[in-house]
Amino acid sequence: MEERVKKIYERLQKREYRNLRRVEDVALSNDCKQISDLALRSARRLYELVAQEQAVLFEEDRIGMMRTITSVPPLLQEEEQKALYLGRFVFDSAQVGNISSDYEGILADGFLKKRALLSVQKEKYATDSKQFKELEAMNVCIDAILLLAEKYRAEAEKMGNTRLAEALKRVPMYAPNGYYEALVMMRMINFTLWLNANKHNTLGRFDEYMYPYFLKDVERGSITREEALALTQEFFIDLNFDADLYPGVQQGDNGQSLVLGGVNADGDPVWNELSELCLEASLSLNLIDPKINIRVSKETPFSVYEKGTLLTKQGLGFPQYSNDDVVIPALCKMGYDLCDARNYVVAACWEFIIPGVAYEIPNVDALNYPGIVLDVIKEKLVGVHSFDELLSEVKARIQSVCFSLAEGTKNIFVEPSPFQSIVMTDCIERAQDISEGAKYNNYGFHGAGLSTAADSLAAVKKLVFEEKAVTAQELICALDNDFNGYGNLRAQCLACPKMGNNDDFVDGIAVALTDCFADSLAGLKNERGGIFRAGTGSAMYYIWYSEKLGATPDGRKKGEPFSANYSPSLNVKFDGVLSVIHSFTKPHLERVCNGGPLTLEFHDTLFRNEEGTQKVARLVKLFVENGGHQLQLNAINRETLLDAQKHPEDHKNLIVRVWGWSGYFNELDLEYQNHIIKRIEFLS
Amino acid sequence: MSKEGIIFSIEEFSVYDGPGIRTTVFFKGCPLRCNWCHNPEGLEARVQVVKSPNGCIACGACKEVCKYKEGCVACGACIPVCPRSLIRFSGTKYTAEALSKKLLKNADYLSQAGGGVTFSGGECFMQWEFLCEVLTLLKGKVHTAIQTCGYASNEVFCKGLSLVDYVMFDLKILDEEKARKFTGVGTEQILKNFRSLSTSGVPFVVRVPLIPDVTDTEENLKAIAETVAQSNARGVELLPYNKMAGSKYTMVGKVYNPLFDEQKAPNVNLAPFVQRGIKVKIM
Repeated sequence: MEERVKKIYERLQKREYRNLRRVEDVALSNDCKQISDLALRSARRLYELVAQEQAVLFEEDRIGMMRTITSVPPLLQEEEQKALYLGRFVFDSAQVGNISSDYEGILADGFLKKRALLSVQKEKYATDSKQFKELEAMNVCIDAILLLAEKYRAEAEKMGNTRLAEALKRVPMYAPNGYYEALVMMRMINFTLWLNANKHNTLGRFDEYMYPYFLKDVERGSITREEALALTQEFFIDLNFDADLYPGVQQGDNGQSLVLGGVNADGDPVWNELSELCLEASLSLNLIDPKINIRVSKETPFSVYEKGTLLTKQGLGFPQYSNDDVVIPALCKMGYDLCDARNYVVAACWEFIIPGVAYEIPNVDALNYPGIVLDVIKEKLVGVHSFDELLSEVKARIQSVCFSLAEGTKNIFVEPSPFQSIVMTDCIERAQDISEGAKYNNYGFHGAGLSTAADSLAAVKKLVFEEKAVTAQELICALDNDFNGYGNLRAQCLACPKMGNNDDFVDGIAVALTDCFADSLAGLKNERGGIFRAGTGSAMYYIWYSEKLGATPDGRKKGEPFSANYSPSLNVKFDGVLSVIHSFTKPHLERVCNGGPLTLEFHDTLFRNEEGTQKVARLVKLFVENGGHQLQLNAINRETLLDAQKHPEDHKNLIVRVWGWSGYFNELDLEYQNHIIKRIEFLS
Repeated sequence: MSKEGIIFSIEEFSVYDGPGIRTTVFFKGCPLRCNWCHNPEGLEARVQVVKSPNGCIACGACKEVCKYKEGCVACGACIPVCPRSLIRFSGTKYTAEALSKKLLKNADYLSQAGGGVTFSGGECFMQWEFLCEVLTLLKGKVHTAIQTCGYASNEVFCKGLSLVDYVMFDLKILDEEKARKFTGVGTEQILKNFRSLSTSGVPFVVRVPLIPDVTDTEENLKAIAETVAQSNARGVELLPYNKMAGSKYTMVGKVYNPLFDEQKAPNVNLAPFVQRGIKVKIM
């Protein structure tokens, strides 16, 4: 690593820069608070925050930027919020987030072109119209980002950092002239999105939208590979400086995902030198942000898997792989235009979304498969005469729960987000804030605990209906007593077929459940005219739902967690990873393609030499070639994690994958730490 | 009905047991008693009851139900009563048909990934009839390999060779006296089988465990390299001693008693092989 970059890296590690943050919270002016139009108020807030931000640069910075304001004041006053929220559906604190900006578009235009467009648009509307106010709000946000840029330009100039000062004379006002300026502009946008209270700000298809700028430099010979690498490293490090200020369920859950590879809108492969440079930068840094995702397909060269596996080996919990061969057709079936489907990225974790033209909420709620199965068993098992009858009851319940979940999303309230609107493809043209919708307005539901549900039904099928080893009443009694006094029955339950062993007896049930989930959402529309997408992710629901759920017929005791995402149950001995892949590619994944990866944990000794690493890469390829939709691999070592619980001070940089994101182990709550320790390792 | 085999583990996605991605089947029973053996579950050719010591709360429930206090007969009565689920059978009986059926379930993936099935142990030739039966059932359907110490009758060994696609053959110690001391058997039978292997046309590699001051000596490695150089081996794979070797002994009710300095790092000496133009890699 270049000396200059090393200095930046060390600054991040030492954390002393955090002392430069303001101690007191910033407050909004009364003028701002009293603006009745929320779009205008939001814009004003951003402007006031920028006005109070202090540009901080260090000698070694070429891109730089760090927050000095620690928290963004809420847009709504307490009483006002209460009134506005009343009777409304409020998701994720009513913030726009978890979407992907049109970076390609904003880089090509620059903010001044956007401003010109705004002026033209404003002419079309009466000054007291909603459209006019929203456009005006966007205009104020442009003032804000330009002010921010000017502050940094002045600071750079003052420090004699002419390169940055020169760059900031051009960006973000105009399109960048080369890779370096594009990075500065991206950093400025990223910084502003966070300061604007947007959540889960994804980075999209970095190797696609940045490539023209990179190529321009390469072609005119104005950048060497080393310089490009150093700048990419710096940009990646910069994404981490304020990460502790970014909101999420746990620290690290901030959505700074970056996508590499895949095909472009025309269907041509994207993978290029810059993709490789990003992998190299990430590998050299060992940081949780940005979280690397690779889009792959049957056409992907093996070398891409090999390079990706080097990151996995590092224990970062990424790259995560998404399979274009499954995802693109699935998105087309959901109604996305082919060119948009080809352009997909992942949201904060793994949900498939379209950059620029979508305001989707792919994580709006989650189906609790095991909860439904348990309820139905307790209510209906005694009365039904066959397993098929029971399964029909479960399906009927899934359908009614899906309907209620969909109903629950109605009458949503979202705060306007004029700055985010500027960096979307056509909010200005439509004179509409992004919070009110876009070309695509779909919602997605996770499907938590699939394996626990399938295993539970398999146990009932085998023990109650086929072997008649236990009566319905006895089983329910055992469940009600959390298996206390039913040790033998629990052992029998645990010995029943489990999803992940390539056994159609139970895998078939999982297929039926996922199909039913998809069927139940088919045809339902949300209030914005979008559809509901069924998924295989869990987000934090593998903890939230399981904590409250009683014992289940698969032998799981009360409160024990489900597996995260789309994975076999915990604490079950499996034949191995090949059988797991067989099992988990049986469901019709193109029908439940909201996102949610098969998650596999490997002991880190598997990667001890090139042979091991090569074979893991082969396994990923195998998964892709056999119709898997998404895969997340983690290299972990149980002993290391246990030691980190005892001696956190020795493991400050220990990174683990949690559900759809990587975080520092020490910064996780105990229950999330313990879950990771419990997950199965496929030892070798 | 054909003879049943006793298997103590089947590992999918085993990456260090032959070419490509493989499933490794561990046979119970071994004719050798290598002092450094890290897989004591593989020693006895019978089903055993094993108990993990980690997490035992000494509640006594297992002892209470035991009817064979003088000697375990692997009745398994203690298994369900352990509140921490620490007791289990080691060894599952399979018919050749059942085992091959199970293995073939992943044949598509294994073939796609340039791999196959590996038979290891213990020593797979300890159950040679079963081994040959399974190999026959798998022939032409999935690539097969065996990992062997080479200690078997030559007739049996050659029969196995005629059915298998790839061999990993252990050469541990070539000094007769030391071999008897540290592995429990001499070298004659092993070397005889090695010669058969070398002329069989079956592709093979030689594996050498590196045990400090036992197998990693200059003298031993030179002797092995010399033997390998005169054979058709494709290369040598060195397996440095792992300090975790003793960790499974308590579980099978045995005591680990290394006759060498466990703390000493094995001498990973490639020179004797490199000098003779032998391809060598460290596993």
